[in-house]
Amino acid sequence: MASDATPSTSTDASSTAAVTPTGGSDPSPQRAGSVTVLRWVLRQHRRALIGWTVAVAVVCGIYVSFWPAMGDAGELEALIEGMPEGIVAALGYDAIGTPAGYLESTIFGLLGPILLLVFGLTFAAKLVAGEEEDGTLELELSAPIARGSVYLQRYLTVVLALLWLCLVVAAVTVGLVAALDMQVGTPELLAITLGMFLLALAFSSVAFAAGAATGRKAIALAVGAGLAVAAYIANALAPLLDDGRWLEAISPFAWYLASEPLVDGLSVPGALGLVALALVPVGLAVVRFDRRDLGV
Amino acid sequence: MSDVLVRAEGLVKDYGQHRALDGLELEVSRGEIFGFLGPNGAGKSTTIRILLDQLRPTAGRAEVFGTAPREGGPRQRARIGYLPGELALSGRDTAGALLDHLARLRGGAGTTRIPELAERFNLDLDRPIRGLSKGNKQKVGVIQALMHDPELLILDEPTSGLDPLLQHEFLTMVREARDSGATVFMSSHVLSEVEEIAGRVAIVREGRIVDLDDVATLRHHAGQEVELTFAEPVPAEAFDGLPGVSDVEVDDGSVRCLLRGEPDALLKAAARYHVTRWSAQDRELEDLFLDHYRVPVSDDDGEVVADPGSSVRAGTSAGSAPDTERAR
Repeated sequence: MASDATPSTSTDASSTAAVTPTGGSDPSPQRAGSVTVLRWVLRQHRRALIGWTVAVAVVCGIYVSFWPAMGDAGELEALIEGMPEGIVAALGYDAIGTPAGYLESTIFGLLGPILLLVFGLTFAAKLVAGEEEDGTLELELSAPIARGSVYLQRYLTVVLALLWLCLVVAAVTVGLVAALDMQVGTPELLAITLGMFLLALAFSSVAFAAGAATGRKAIALAVGAGLAVAAYIANALAPLLDDGRWLEAISPFAWYLASEPLVDGLSVPGALGLVALALVPVGLAVVRFDRRDLGV
Repeated sequence: MSDVLVRAEGLVKDYGQHRALDGLELEVSRGEIFGFLGPNGAGKSTTIRILLDQLRPTAGRAEVFGTAPREGGPRQRARIGYLPGELALSGRDTAGALLDHLARLRGGAGTTRIPELAERFNLDLDRPIRGLSKGNKQKVGVIQALMHDPELLILDEPTSGLDPLLQHEFLTMVREARDSGATVFMSSHVLSEVEEIAGRVAIVREGRIVDLDDVATLRHHAGQEVELTFAEPVPAEAFDGLPGVSDVEVDDGSVRCLLRGEPDALLKAAARYHVTRWSAQDRELEDLFLDHYRVPVSDDDGEVVADPGSSVRAGTSAGSAPDTERAR
C-alpha cells in the first residue's frame, strides 16, 4: 500500500483540473506504526513545551542554588526548630538540614511534582477529551487511521513530554549539585527523578484515561487532580497518625517518596505500583474509547 | 462491486432518552449527487457521523462501500472525503501545515493538489489557522475533503460560511468530482443549494426520511400556487374536494389554492362564475420542504386537521414515503 501516496514532485502537469478518483484501486490508509499524529501534536504544542522547559529549569535552578545560603548556613534547621513537630513531619522536613533532605522536601517532594502534575494533567486532559469536546479532533478521527492508533500516539505524546521535563530536572539538579558540591550521588538523583516521572505519569495517565473514556475534559481533570491531591494528603497525614502506615500503603506519593529515594534509592514495589497506576487505566480506557460514540 | 455506495437500513440512534434517528432508510448510488435535506436537529449530522464511524447506531445497519463503517475502518475512510458540519480548527499552525498533516494521515494522498485547490478557493496557506475567519476555515475543510480525489464525498452543510461566489465555485467543484466518477452525499438545510446540483433529494425530519425523489418529481409535488379573482363573492363549498387542489382559501371574491397535477377540475369549478383575473405560479421547492415541517409528525389527528399543511403532506408523500403516515 501507500505506493501512489508519496508526495511526488514528478509529474503533476496533466493533473491541473482533472479530478480523478482513485477508483478503489489503491486507497492509502495510515501505515501501521506511523507517528504522524504524535509528531503533529508535539509540533502544535512546541511553544508550550518550551515554556514549561524554561519554567521547570528555572525553578529547579533557583531551589538548588538556595542551598548554600539556607541549608549550609543552618538557617533551615533554625527555622524547623521553631515549628511544631507534627507540621515538620507532615511537610517531610525532618531531614531538611541535609542536602538530600533539602532536595527531597523542595524540588522532588513539592515543586517538581506540582509543576509536572499541572502540566501533565492539563496536557493529558486536553489531548483526547479536550480536543474531542471542542471538535478539533474530528478530522483526525475521520482520517484513515484507527481509533486505537490515535489514542496510543496521543498518549505517547504525554509520556514523551513528561519524560522530557524530567530530563530537564535531572540535568539541572545533577549539574548544580555537582557545582555546589552537595554530596548527593548522581544515581540517587536519577532514581528520584525517575520516581517523580512515574508519579506524574501515573496521575496524568489516569486523567488521560478518564478523558478518553468519557470524552469530558472536566472529568479528566477532576479525576486526575482529585486523586493526586488525595494521595498527597494521605502521604502527609501518615506520619501524624499513630497508625498511619495504611495511608502510606495506599498513597502513590508515598510509593514514590516514603523510601527516601535520595538516600536509599527508589522503592521497587513503589515504582511498579506507579507503573501499574499509569498503565491499567490507559489499557482499560482504550477499549471504551474504541467502542463509544465520539464527539457527542 | 455493488453500485450502492451508501446504505442505511432501519437506522436508529438514541442519545439517552432522545431518539435522533428513527428507522432512517436511504441508498446512494455510485456516481450520483444525493441531497440530504432537513433543518438542524433532524438527524443529518448523526447519520453522516455514523457513516464516518464516529457514532455507532443503536439499531439498524449502515453500510459504506458495502461494509459497515466499524468493520470498514481506516481502509474505508481512505476512500472518503469528509467535511464535518461543525468544523472546528484551531492552533497557531498555518492552514498549509494543517492540510499537509491531514494529507500525511492519508499516507500523503492529496499533498500535491493543495496549492491548486488553495488557489481556486483563494485561501492563503501561510496564515495561521486561529486567525482565519469562519469562511476561510470552511475553505480549509473543503480542500481537505476534496484533495485526495475520494470516491465518495460526504459533505455536511458544505456551503455554510462560504460567500455566494465561493458557494458557486464549490458547487462547480462538486459537479466536476461527480463528472469524473465520484459519488456525493451532501446535507443542507437550504434546499436551493442542493436543488442546483443534486439528482435525488431526501428530506429528513425527526430522524426519518419523509420524502425521497429526484428533483424533477419533487418539483412536480411542489405544484402551483393558483389565484383566481371573481366579479362577485363565491361560496367556499364550490371549491371543496376538487382533485389535485388543496389549501383552499376563499376570501369574498378571490380564491387561492395549491394545485398539483391537471387543472381541469379547478377550471371547471371556476368557470361557473365570472372570472376576472387568473394567475398560476410554480412553487419553489423550498415551499415543499417547508410543507414537511409545518405538521408535527407525532400528532396523528387533533391539531393536524386544523393545519392546512396536512393535506399537502398527504399529497406529496403518497408513493414516495408512505411510512410518514404510519402511526408511531
